[in-house]
Amino acid sequence: MKESLMDIIVCPVDKHDLELAVDEEEADEIVSGTLTCTECGETYPIEDGIPNLLPPDMRDEVEA
Amino acid sequence: MTDPDGGADDRTPDAGGSAAESTDSAAESGESADSLAERRGLDVDVYQPAEDSGLLARAATEDGRLGPDDVALEVGTGSGWVAATVAEETGARTLGSDVNPHAAEQARERGVEALRADLVSPVRDGALDAVLFNPPYLPTDPENEWSDWMERALSGGESGRALIDPFLDSVGRVLAPDGAVYLLVSSLTGFDEVVARAAENGFAVETVVQESYPFETLSVLRLTSE
Repeated sequence: MKESLMDIIVCPVDKHDLELAVDEEEADEIVSGTLTCTECGETYPIEDGIPNLLPPDMRDEVEA
Repeated sequence: MTDPDGGADDRTPDAGGSAAESTDSAAESGESADSLAERRGLDVDVYQPAEDSGLLARAATEDGRLGPDDVALEVGTGSGWVAATVAEETGARTLGSDVNPHAAEQARERGVEALRADLVSPVRDGALDAVLFNPPYLPTDPENEWSDWMERALSGGESGRALIDPFLDSVGRVLAPDGAVYLLVSSLTGFDEVVARAAENGFAVETVVQESYPFETLSVLRLTSE
């Protein structure tokens, strides 16, 4: 994902801002990292350039 | 089915066929969308561009509201074809979201800024100039729905509106004041019910394009805040 996506995305649960922690970056793209809600503390992974912003209950259901 | 710009004649039986399969014969034959897709030699995990995709991209592009300063999101982007086409034609930054990880990957490989999301839930209030959605809309027997990714891409639950209704109830929050929603609606889903639900949510509704096929009529609605 591009860092500028931070202007568009929020926590899917409570709509508060997310904080970005970058693990791996390539050119202008964040390849892996973590998005953490500044309000509820829920974390959302970024893997292979794609942020997974599914709400936690759906993430578990889908991945099961 | 893989060529949205091709002739209508060789595309429409696919849409009608899937519908008939889901509503009538699926229970008897035990055939899923998955095996149908396999028989046609298609990707079994990700919905590929079809006549509905072509119509949605055309509506969003030719409506003339999107330009290089705009941000758009295609919900349920699948292969990413619509998002990529709209980005290319209008210059708008066009994101693509999907629940399906395989779809998000395909969209990203196509150059679309991809994310995994449930409808518009992780989008900031008022952040989008346009939201596009070609929803899973086929009315489906509950016993046959959502058993795999392709079923999820096609099935709209018993009414055909299982995803459309929550979408209409939530999309207003993320739309900029002069933004627009482009929603593909099939006659199989209940055109009037979708229009009524949009109006209940305070949208002005206009039909941008409409095309009739042997088994369904496809329309793209433009929803704007009243």
